[in-house]
Amino acid sequence: MFMTDSLLPMLAAGGIGAPSLLESDWFTNSIFVAIVVTSAILLFTRMATKRMELIPDGKQNFVELVIEFLYGQVEGIVGKHVAPKAFPLLATIFIFILASNWFGLIPGVGTIGFGEKSTPMSVHVDSAHVDAAGHATFVPLLRPATADLNMTLALAVVFMGVWVYLSIAELGVWGTILHIFGPKGGLQGMLKYLLMPIFIFVGLIEVLSIAFRPMSLSLRLFGNIFAGETLLHTMGELGEKLGLHGWAAFLTSVVFPLPFYFMELLVGVLQATVFSLLCAVYIKLATTHDEEAHR
Amino acid sequence: MSDILKTFGLDLPKFIAQVIIVLLVYAILSKYAFGPVLAMLEARRRRIAEGESNLVAVKAEMDRAEERVREMLAKANADAERLIAEARDSAEAVRVQKSQEAIKEAQQILEKAREASRLEHESAMNELKRDFGRLVIDATSKVTGKVLDDKDQKRINDEAFGQVAL
Repeated sequence: MFMTDSLLPMLAAGGIGAPSLLESDWFTNSIFVAIVVTSAILLFTRMATKRMELIPDGKQNFVELVIEFLYGQVEGIVGKHVAPKAFPLLATIFIFILASNWFGLIPGVGTIGFGEKSTPMSVHVDSAHVDAAGHATFVPLLRPATADLNMTLALAVVFMGVWVYLSIAELGVWGTILHIFGPKGGLQGMLKYLLMPIFIFVGLIEVLSIAFRPMSLSLRLFGNIFAGETLLHTMGELGEKLGLHGWAAFLTSVVFPLPFYFMELLVGVLQATVFSLLCAVYIKLATTHDEEAHR
Repeated sequence: MSDILKTFGLDLPKFIAQVIIVLLVYAILSKYAFGPVLAMLEARRRRIAEGESNLVAVKAEMDRAEERVREMLAKANADAERLIAEARDSAEAVRVQKSQEAIKEAQQILEKAREASRLEHESAMNELKRDFGRLVIDATSKVTGKVLDDKDQKRINDEAFGQVAL
């Protein structure tokens, strides 16, 4: 028999918030994974681009294929003029999110750690991960970087910084203000002045939506990846929750999450695409000159 | 608000650390990955474009060369035809000239042969006349028994020649 509350999903990766490691204020398991992912990406790209040849070999060929494909997509959205400035950030966002998402699917991420479920390790857990009785709860050593709102918000904030820079660089300060609050649709004459209050109101709504973009971008990504992690963990422990033991529990822990792994592979690509696609569209909207938009 | 932030694990030091990581990835990838790869792609694109333009230039040059060859062949053909025509004309002229020379030579040979024959005929006739005169004289002297003098011999000869000539 089992308790119904035991069927409630176990929150993956040690809870919604990423736990700190080594009694540090900032060094969390997600930052640890972010550093690992960053190092892997940088190491691979460095190896691929260190001695570049006009006729590429395997690694260089792969990196060129990815970058050329991404550049084509970015150019198709933001245009030829803005693409060289916007591409590095958009490509970084896509590659980093994709690598982080897929890193979360490596066995051991979110399940290897210390605390209640494993032998205590010589690491210290901060007070946020101690239960009411004063016992340390389970803290995974590895947590997907994108399953931490700090990381997804950091990505969104960095993007917004570059977005502001690109908008002003492309249209100027006054041009950007006009772009947001100015009359749309090529209105001329008296009608333009009559509709000005509406355009200003629409501009205020636009500013509000811009202000919410970092939160919408970061929460969408965080929510999807964290939910995926939680789903996999729940499926992995479903057998135990149902009262199975030994080989049966082991078998269910392999079989139950398997379909969801394929789904999470897809979700990983999808979320990386959605995040970077939205960023590209935001850049496109902000850097399009009105006369071009009205053509 | 702070409760919401705490629930979602938002924390300034952690957030700043993540921002630094994102900026580092952005900067390093831009410098060591996107920059060189895009430069390489651009170089390759330029090279391909150069190759294409070179190909067009080479093709144009080849077309020009082919045109030149065609012109040269046409000119050579025309020259050859002209030379053949000239040679044919020249050969015809030579043939006509040689034919005329041969005809003339043949006529000369015939003329000479005819002259030689006439001379031989005359000589034979003279010989015959002389023999005939001598025979007539001998016969006359034997018939008449008279030694004929020069005057008789001349008269008999003339009469005999006159009869032979008839």
